[in-house]
Amino acid sequence: MPVDLNILIGGAAGQGVHSITLPLAKALMRQGCWVLTVQSYESRIRGGHLFNQVRLADRRLSSSREGVDLLIALNQETVDLHTPEILSQGLIIYDASEVKEVPGGVPSLALTPENLLPGAADKAEIALNAGACGAVLGFLKVPLAPLLTLLQETFGDKGGEVVEWNVQAATRGYELAAAQDYGFSLAGIKPPPEPRLLISGHEAMALGALAGGLQFISGYPMTPWTSLLNAVAQRAPRHNVVVEQAEDEIAAINLAIGASYAGARSLTGTSGGGFCLMTEGLGLACMTETPLVIVMSMRPGPSTGLPTRTGQGDLSFVLFAGQGDAPRAVLAPGTPAQGFALTAKALNWADRYQLPVIILTDQYFGDTQFTHLPGEFPEVQVDRALATGPAAAPYERYAYTPDGVSPRRLPGFGPELVVADSDEHTPDGHLTEDLAVRARMHRKRLRKLQGLVQEMGGITTAGDPDAPLALICWGSSLGPVKEAVALLGAGGTPARLVHLSELWPFPVEAVAAALKGSKKLVMAEMNATGQLNRLLRQETGIKTDHLVLKDDGAPFTPEYILRGLAAAI
Amino acid sequence: MTARLLPRNIFSGVWLRRYKPFLNKTDVLNYEALGYGFLYEDAMLPIELYAGIKSAWCPGCGNFVLLQAFKQALRELDLRPQDLVVVSGIGQSSKFPHYLSCNTFNGIHGRTLPVGTGVRLANPDLKVVCVAGDGDCYGEGGNHLLAAMRRNVDLTLVVHNNQVYALTKGQASPTTDQGQKTTLQPQGVPYTPLAALALAVSQGCSWVGRGSATDPEHLKGLYQQAITHRGLAFLEVLQPCVTFNRVNTYQWYRERVYRVEETPGYDPENELWAYQKAKEWGERIPIGVIYRHLRPLLEEAHPALQAGPLVRQQPQRDLPQLLADFF
Repeated sequence: MPVDLNILIGGAAGQGVHSITLPLAKALMRQGCWVLTVQSYESRIRGGHLFNQVRLADRRLSSSREGVDLLIALNQETVDLHTPEILSQGLIIYDASEVKEVPGGVPSLALTPENLLPGAADKAEIALNAGACGAVLGFLKVPLAPLLTLLQETFGDKGGEVVEWNVQAATRGYELAAAQDYGFSLAGIKPPPEPRLLISGHEAMALGALAGGLQFISGYPMTPWTSLLNAVAQRAPRHNVVVEQAEDEIAAINLAIGASYAGARSLTGTSGGGFCLMTEGLGLACMTETPLVIVMSMRPGPSTGLPTRTGQGDLSFVLFAGQGDAPRAVLAPGTPAQGFALTAKALNWADRYQLPVIILTDQYFGDTQFTHLPGEFPEVQVDRALATGPAAAPYERYAYTPDGVSPRRLPGFGPELVVADSDEHTPDGHLTEDLAVRARMHRKRLRKLQGLVQEMGGITTAGDPDAPLALICWGSSLGPVKEAVALLGAGGTPARLVHLSELWPFPVEAVAAALKGSKKLVMAEMNATGQLNRLLRQETGIKTDHLVLKDDGAPFTPEYILRGLAAAI
Repeated sequence: MTARLLPRNIFSGVWLRRYKPFLNKTDVLNYEALGYGFLYEDAMLPIELYAGIKSAWCPGCGNFVLLQAFKQALRELDLRPQDLVVVSGIGQSSKFPHYLSCNTFNGIHGRTLPVGTGVRLANPDLKVVCVAGDGDCYGEGGNHLLAAMRRNVDLTLVVHNNQVYALTKGQASPTTDQGQKTTLQPQGVPYTPLAALALAVSQGCSWVGRGSATDPEHLKGLYQQAITHRGLAFLEVLQPCVTFNRVNTYQWYRERVYRVEETPGYDPENELWAYQKAKEWGERIPIGVIYRHLRPLLEEAHPALQAGPLVRQQPQRDLPQLLADFF
């Protein structure tokens, strides 16, 4: 029988929901499960309600799903909110010191300070969630040892006693659960022949940036972009990356532009309103033809919106942000592996075409951890595309060229002076009001997109290639839509997936080819108006038949997409 | 030894000087074949070396005095154009680097300091001078000024203070005197002017000075001290706007400025003395070095720069090691 279980861990902020999710998920992954974790949290440090989901299966997972098999409740609110989601075979593990009432008819296991830490019940508060994780493994009848190792890794820096309490609680939780039979079994799942990775979208992008030769990152903290900045910063000392926390997003992008002008591979990023502040800097990078990668981690707006929730509402914004037909590239990865590859590629494209490359992510993409194989993170080539050696003629930073790409040199590397200007400028970089020069220079900059679009593609397909029904999506919607397509196929409705990860300059030919033969087109997006839908029509004239949209801040689920599809068709 | 100088208009302002230590013989021959001139003698760099494109400033603009003094300062410091990056923003002052010959980044309004900081962090081998106006630096870019004082990057910030918005034709700037009538404030400016130097002293800015277009020789010396100071050097230069500011004229400044280092009790290492001098404005206006003290540089705080400038490093990241955290 196929294994597909959904564990939901809920509690108040500060109760250790996050700190216990990773050891549990990793323990299950090391056991041979394909694991996917999703975070859902509020914009607060203490209290409130937050929950993580750990989905595990005997096959690769592309998405979270609805329905809860194991509910770990660290407070009463979790029980109250999530009991309706518990599936027929489901059960509840709860902290009996916090939870006073559990629904009748659902099997449950109460964890108490006394039954987890008989000798040190007063310390149980900090170890109770470890006890719950042990209990999960006990129910599933899988070995406990990987979890104990991970608890030691997680809590090792908090001292021997803390580790000991957590290990003891996990062991007791395991024993309590293993003593009963709830019918769960992971029999048949064996530790994998080669170790797998549990990695989030933003973590993978941080690795892609490092592998791609990143040297400078600047940013102002803002959810959900901060997790990427942190992931680079934690690795920066080992890899000689300058991390500069800026006074605001305006400074963040200008710092990165200055570093890039001087020759360091540079990246900045932000979310929501932070990108509004970066917009003038975006234009500056376009005009001065300064290579730059900008990560824009979307969150539902307008304005402050829902700071910690997810959405895809900023595609139109980043496509058109800034005045004056400013050339840029826009990418949107759908999985951590794509995020790794696209970030490294973005750094190369920024250098090769001397323009800003924007990578769109969101909270769901950034925080969701996928199980990957190491081979899905291949070595990347770094291409700085710099002119070297003496210039053949007096150096012109913005020399007119057939492809619009001028030889780029760095200041201080020779007698050639590098003159960059935000004003319209002559080929040697000085400001001008010669209108003929302006027209020629502006076309030179825009011409670079013609070369770039030749390199673009980034289309992922899945499902039945001959199916008349095609579901189109972009960025982080890949996983849920992919699973929806699989569910449709299994239910007797052949369907295919067409996912776009390289959005601008729009790969017209590749997209048209991918959609050829489909009779019915459905666009699925996490926004209110169908922004890729508009772009598709604008660039190709293709009009879709139906839209499945979601803009409430919670991620797509495969079930939601199927319901939306059923309602639309 | 012979000097071989070639006219700038043919060779795009590029001159090479004493190049033998930096280039191999083949490179020298290649450059010479391309027509670049080499100077081998130890004479001072020619002032023409720093000539830029034709200026669009008004005749009589105080900026001309600053430009000439700056070129003299560079020349006497033996600073080659290729070793210098002048970063500017928007305003008449920000056209400054175009009228020079040097590496240039003329960015957007108010953002001079973050760009210059980025340049320095990427390549501390470059001398960085940020040129801004009073509107540019104190108005649009105020937050960056506060952050720059905290960061203490080794760069020079020169603020051309003409106490008016000139590029936009005559509105009040953050340093226009209270009560002064302008095109946008016909009843007079209701606010008090920003005391930028006092702010800088209060924030422990590493070097604080003021120069004046009415004393070019003194200004040249201040440029040199600011450029050679190790840390953030903030030099405000009083610069008459002959078109839009009929109050703060050459005559107005000449009657008021005095060389502060020539007065008794001169003590720029003393914060309290410096604060008093920084606040002095009105009948008498001090020019000269007002405050200086050495502080750790931001460049020294970044471990990544211990291995040399980022731009000289070849990052090689071991992929299996990067992935190891995630098994």
